[in-house]
Amino acid sequence: MINDLLVSVMMVAGTFFMFLAGIGVLRMPDLLMRLHATTKAGTLGAGLVMLAVATHFLDAGVTARTLAIILFILLTAPVAAHAIGRAGYFVGVPLWDKMLKDDLKDRYDPDTHILHNPDDDKNP
Amino acid sequence: MLQSAIFLSYLLLSLALLGALVRLVRGPTLPDRVVALELMASLTVAFIGIYALNNDRPAFLDVAMVLALTAFLTAVGFARYLEKGGHRGDQ
Amino acid sequence: MSPLSWNLILALVWAAITGNFSGANLLVGFGLGYLILGFALRDVPDFARYREKMPRVLMLLTHFLRDLLVSNLRVAYDVLTPTHYMRPAVVAVPLRAKTDGAITILANMISLTPGTLSLDVSSDRSVLYLHVMYLDNEDDLRKQIHKLEDRVLAVLE
Repeated sequence: MINDLLVSVMMVAGTFFMFLAGIGVLRMPDLLMRLHATTKAGTLGAGLVMLAVATHFLDAGVTARTLAIILFILLTAPVAAHAIGRAGYFVGVPLWDKMLKDDLKDRYDPDTHILHNPDDDKNP
Repeated sequence: MLQSAIFLSYLLLSLALLGALVRLVRGPTLPDRVVALELMASLTVAFIGIYALNNDRPAFLDVAMVLALTAFLTAVGFARYLEKGGHRGDQ
Repeated sequence: MSPLSWNLILALVWAAITGNFSGANLLVGFGLGYLILGFALRDVPDFARYREKMPRVLMLLTHFLRDLLVSNLRVAYDVLTPTHYMRPAVVAVPLRAKTDGAITILANMISLTPGTLSLDVSSDRSVLYLHVMYLDNEDDLRKQIHKLEDRVLAVLE
């Protein structure tokens, strides 16, 4: 009974965060902010749902597999976000016009794909 | 109570899938679509988890694990392709 | 053999003795093993360091989980209300972590904590480029990242 309650709460909370990720990816104004929505809300949502599954079955094999999935999502979601964000910069995805500042602008070398740091501007 | 929670979860996940689908269709650039696809993959992982819970079939979790793995590879592959000067969107 | 593997072996022994290999029981065994190692081998330098490191790992984990939750609530508020309150920016933050492992863990944790997303590391590994959702004060942001970096480095050293 208590177990069912715990499972329900975690599952609904997790799917609610995933719902937010879906709305976020639809409503956010540019690529980088959409990445914010999917990495954070998607990770937390999938993690909570997997925890709910582990709590429901209460079995060593299932727990191990759900923990593996959670660990895997935690490791890969930020890396995927980095890869896509970087690729977006290279193809010149338009960014939101209300950005306050953009330190990354013109720091990529289009040919060698080397990323310079801000100090390079002063002593090239 | 568990049944209504499962129903609510399915509903929320479907709405999220719908949102991601609209973003996938609307674009406007290829990276945006990749983000939408990646979100759809993790939504499907959650879907499979709830389905396994609903039907008492833990074997489905293996599918979720493999899907999470391949979704990551897809995202990285797309990013690599874009960075190496692939097709740049479609406006 | 490292203290961590001894601790894992003790956890497995505990699970074998009690005949219950569930996740919760393994955790109990790990906690008991940690206490035993910390007490019985407190004079061995390796184990003494291990005893001090474990609470730091736990601290890092709890901070991380709390940050993950807070960041989601803030984004949730912004996603659900019709007006956008975002003040986005891409900011360069100097890095002190030098090894690949430390930079990876730091960047991943930054991506999963409030309003920040790590975009890339400069090729000479001196600067981390972040996308920030709510930029109020750049110095505060740098301080916040430095605190997180300190915690990561304390665990890895």
